[in-house]
Amino acid sequence: MQERQNTEEKESLMAPLKTLEADYPIFDSNFQQFCASHGIFSVEDFLVRDIYMLVALAEEHDNSDRLKQAITEILSIMDSQHQSWLNGFELLEDSQKSKNILPTGCERIDAFLQGGLREGFLTELVGPSSSGKTQVCLLAASNVAKRRLGKVMFLDTGNSFSPKRIAYFISNTPEHADNEANRSLPHILDNILCHSVFDIFTLLDVLQQLLNNLTYQIGQRLRMLIVDSISSLITPVLGGAGTHGHALMAFAGVLLKKLAHEYNLSVLITNHMVAGEGGVTKPALGESWKSIPHIRLLLSRDCISNISGMSILRHPCMAIGERVDFTIL
Amino acid sequence: MASVSAVKDWIKPDETAKEMLTRLFTERPFLPLPPPLHKLPLRAGNVVEIVGPPSSAKTHILMQAAISCILPKEWKGIQFGGMDRLAVFVDLDCRFDVLRLSQLLKHKLIQASNKKSQTEYDEELFAACMRRFLYIRCYDSSEFLATLKTMNYQLQKKKEIQGVGVHLLMLDSIGAFYWMDRSLPSLLVGGDRKSLSLQSVTENVVQDIQKLLLVHPMLVLASKTTNSGDKYSADEVRRNIGSGPRPKHREYMPSVWQSFVTHRIHVAASDENSDHQRQLIYLTEWVSPSINSSDKFIVNDDGVFLIS
Repeated sequence: MQERQNTEEKESLMAPLKTLEADYPIFDSNFQQFCASHGIFSVEDFLVRDIYMLVALAEEHDNSDRLKQAITEILSIMDSQHQSWLNGFELLEDSQKSKNILPTGCERIDAFLQGGLREGFLTELVGPSSSGKTQVCLLAASNVAKRRLGKVMFLDTGNSFSPKRIAYFISNTPEHADNEANRSLPHILDNILCHSVFDIFTLLDVLQQLLNNLTYQIGQRLRMLIVDSISSLITPVLGGAGTHGHALMAFAGVLLKKLAHEYNLSVLITNHMVAGEGGVTKPALGESWKSIPHIRLLLSRDCISNISGMSILRHPCMAIGERVDFTIL
Repeated sequence: MASVSAVKDWIKPDETAKEMLTRLFTERPFLPLPPPLHKLPLRAGNVVEIVGPPSSAKTHILMQAAISCILPKEWKGIQFGGMDRLAVFVDLDCRFDVLRLSQLLKHKLIQASNKKSQTEYDEELFAACMRRFLYIRCYDSSEFLATLKTMNYQLQKKKEIQGVGVHLLMLDSIGAFYWMDRSLPSLLVGGDRKSLSLQSVTENVVQDIQKLLLVHPMLVLASKTTNSGDKYSADEVRRNIGSGPRPKHREYMPSVWQSFVTHRIHVAASDENSDHQRQLIYLTEWVSPSINSSDKFIVNDDGVFLIS
């Protein structure tokens, strides 16, 4: 509900003042004329104007009171354009009430990450190919579905989604007798929605659509969003002299964090690694991406022992460099 | 003649220098901030930029400053040494973790009360402090501008409810929308119509904060992530800190912001590890005004700690 109002208000931000007159009679032709004479045609135009100066200019007019009243009205529209103010106590309550931790199903990872993947957070797995990024994603998805915590959306950019593997994770658990697991399997799989996404524009469309849909969410709610891998969508648009690619990357980051926070999703994304200078591998999404996710985890795997390692690259409360070994069978 | 007396009135001193200083110190007092911001006297009206690469504990520094702002000076006979004021946190990175803030605050409360029990703290005081922390999140520049343009009214309201004013305005981090703003379609419209662009957004951010500071004297702390990926690697910034020439990270914010900043401190993780634990050591250096000394600190569960 709130989001729909937001989008409506966003429209009112861009709409010409003329069209707002129906809802706000104070924006009469006189006010529109006053604004137009200062190059202002929409509420958005006010954002890059000095309001104090406009008030001073309005004073010079005959009907200054009505003009100032209209400017006050503009300010109150603006006041509905930002997110709501919260104090630390309310913020903490929201976090404790509606931001849960979703276990991945791998005991060692869950113990390491203080329970698992947090709702409201954007968690990134970075690592070379076959370091277990997709495995962790699939395991986390199956675990949410298996425990009937809610729905999972899996955005697949390179055909990495494997229903077989998911089915294996679901049935291959001690608490499920084989028969029961097999019977409820289709039911459980229903809760994992997989979409193929092959370019950044489709990703942005899907995320925007998801933002709109979540407002009207009925039934079991979405708990987890996975993008495997986000780097393969973003790296093609980066590079070159233009700024467009970076803008798309930043925008994708904002959308993901907005989804995570406003709708209490745990968002899990993967970033592959490429050869950098001097043959040292580095994350495909580098410096300017680093400051986007809440949590960044580096995965690695020893191909002889088959043991994987996870270490902290960034975390709001864990020290950089802390590490755990794990295996996903 | 009336005009002579008017002129005399006009040239008569309004107040002595001592009176002026006293007035200034009460209106815009020096704010005692925790390390690593302790070296310079900072006061309301100053704009401090905390510059560093990603993961260099910038948000932690802001949180520590916020805590010393919202803590009381004294409570039930216990000295906390706080400012007992409101702190405003504008989250532009949308990455703030309130659990971490509450963890740091609890630690402070336990440490100051010096009780035998290591986990006990006054819940009433904790809640009172948390209520003095005001938070808003912005997902783009137009939300940020809408927030700033209506902040005077919001702060007035909060001030009435809480009975105390705001001492600290934190922006984490300025430049978060840099790429998005740079790609805004620059409308080539005639006349004096202004459209949203990196330049116009930054000009208005500065202007709106300046206006706000006239009514609410606050210290502004803004973190800024260095955009080192393009030309200089993070390691280069790191190596340059502390020794040799100044870090040569590329300045990307428009000059109107740069000239608004009154103080600037650089922070970066160093390559060395502390002896006892595998903890990262961070280095700070005041570059504006330039001080010829660098501080080292670590971040652990309990917060930011200087090491010698």
